[in-house]
Amino acid sequence: MTAIQRNNVVEHGSPDARPMLFAHGFGCDQNMWRFVWPPFAEDHRVVLFDHVGAGGSDASAFDRDRYSSLQGYADDVLEICRELDLTDVVFVGHSVSSMIGVLAAAAEPERFGALVLVGPSPRYIDDTGYTGGFTREDIEGLLESMDSNYLGWSSAMAPVIMGNEDRPELGAELTNSFCRADPEIARHFARVTFLSDNRADLAGVRTPSLVLQCSQDAIAPEAVGEYVDRQLHDSRLVHLEATGHCPNLSAPQETIAAIRAFIAA
Amino acid sequence: MTGDDELLEDTAEDLFENAPCGYLSTLPDGTIVKVNRTFETWTGLRREDLLGAKRFQDLLSPGGRIYHETHYAPLLRMQGSVREIAVEIVRADGTRLPALVNSVLRSDEQGHPQLVRTTVFDATDRRGYEQELLRARRQEQDIAQQLSRSLLSGSLPAAPGFEVEVVYRPAVSGLEVGGDWYDAFWLDDDTVGLVVGDVVGRGIGAAATMGQLRSAVRALALTGLDPGRLLDTLDAYTERHDVGLMTTLISAQLGLGSRRLRYACAGHPPPVILSPGEEPRFAWEGRSAPLGVRLDGPRGEAALTLEAGSTVLLYTDGLIERRSESLTDGLDRLLREVAGHRDETVARLAPAVVRALHDPQHVDDVCVLAARVA
Repeated sequence: MTAIQRNNVVEHGSPDARPMLFAHGFGCDQNMWRFVWPPFAEDHRVVLFDHVGAGGSDASAFDRDRYSSLQGYADDVLEICRELDLTDVVFVGHSVSSMIGVLAAAAEPERFGALVLVGPSPRYIDDTGYTGGFTREDIEGLLESMDSNYLGWSSAMAPVIMGNEDRPELGAELTNSFCRADPEIARHFARVTFLSDNRADLAGVRTPSLVLQCSQDAIAPEAVGEYVDRQLHDSRLVHLEATGHCPNLSAPQETIAAIRAFIAA
Repeated sequence: MTGDDELLEDTAEDLFENAPCGYLSTLPDGTIVKVNRTFETWTGLRREDLLGAKRFQDLLSPGGRIYHETHYAPLLRMQGSVREIAVEIVRADGTRLPALVNSVLRSDEQGHPQLVRTTVFDATDRRGYEQELLRARRQEQDIAQQLSRSLLSGSLPAAPGFEVEVVYRPAVSGLEVGGDWYDAFWLDDDTVGLVVGDVVGRGIGAAATMGQLRSAVRALALTGLDPGRLLDTLDAYTERHDVGLMTTLISAQLGLGSRRLRYACAGHPPPVILSPGEEPRFAWEGRSAPLGVRLDGPRGEAALTLEAGSTVLLYTDGLIERRSESLTDGLDRLLREVAGHRDETVARLAPAVVRALHDPQHVDDVCVLAARVA
């Protein structure tokens, strides 16, 4: 199985132009970028994908060991880059995928020309001298939230949610049909995401980086964005007027403009 | 106006304020701009403290807030509505109101979001019941897994010139254990009994049945019964005690000095024989129906003498079955994989074949037993 199949890679735009690789965060899939990527397809090779377990990825490729840390997801990103022979990549990562991009760029810096980190956080749980915004109990609460929201469809709906590419109308009948994910894998991804600590990896990045920080972001507070900006060697911090954690959905125009300004510079 | 008319005269305001559900209107960023009395009563939160000052997500538990930001808000923006999302709203006194929430997004003509309308349903009793169900399901999974693990524990026979390896991989969906089993044990100083079987069903019941049959096969094998007669006796046991009908299994006996393999196969996929310098092949002899299926005569069995260095591979159907593929394709693929790993020790061959063939989306367990005689 190729990474292109495994990660449901979808391409738009000009194959010869500079590649932009969009990586979605926890909780959703490549649909997260639907308002952002289209204008970039005019002058870039736009590459979208789903992490294993999310969206149209091949859930059978899930391996608890491989994906026991964000490095496994970063390895997937690098495999996609290798298979598509991408260089000078503009990597655009939302939420946890910011850190996945950081790990990938630290491992193979020659592939990446720029990193755009949307709402990054290298550690979600508070630590001595560091405010991530959450406690361990909060993360357990998240897992409980996920459990109560998957309860209704875990076994009855699993066959509908997984597979059935040949019967897409089944998917359309789901209450919440976007951002579907295998519940077991989603739970695992939640743990890996919110219990990881990648603060030490930031210093290993030499790629020019843009940190996009929203106001009132409940997941990645402003102090965290500032921390990421300080730790990176070559980084610029831009405060968006957008509120919340998903400016790619709530303020796509502002997000697009900030990315454009950065990669044009 | 009479009293009756007054009751029927629901004003729109009364409908809104005293609706049998909480009602909130928020800006697209979650800022609360309208809230009804039912919501105030249920939560103890007051509108003067909420309007323009709090966002809906601020009222949720921290875990629920993450869920809101990563699931709820993106879904709402993309679909225009979300339904039946379970959240916990933190009341004014710090206690939590388990709620089910529906939202619709109102957008202007250009598609720009303007307003979110949210209804909140008290789900206290429902959530309690759901948590009980969830707990019960987890508990059953744990018990079944422990049972299955303890039944399959124990060491494998070891002897100079004899290698044996087993791989047992439960289905990845992990909801329930299956009824696959393996066994390898000494029959006498020179003969090893090898068994792989598959009980119908899943969960604690299947694990318990598997345990009974596994013990029964061991006990019968020690009485000196040949593989075919062993299956006949097991048939009688199955019928008499109504245990394990339609189970499939292979019962084999391997003489280490003679390299003589005797086996009988009750409705089970055929063993793979890998001899040095030859292509791997299936041993299609010695076959009969699954347990409990009435037969005209005694069950068949077969025997063959292996060449030195040959390998026997027993397995369950989870290894070869895949969604949207014929069984023949699965069997062909198995032979190819065995051939591809033929030069490796069985300790490496068995896991390699499972890795290559096992389809984790297939909701069946996989069990493989590989044995080699020098």
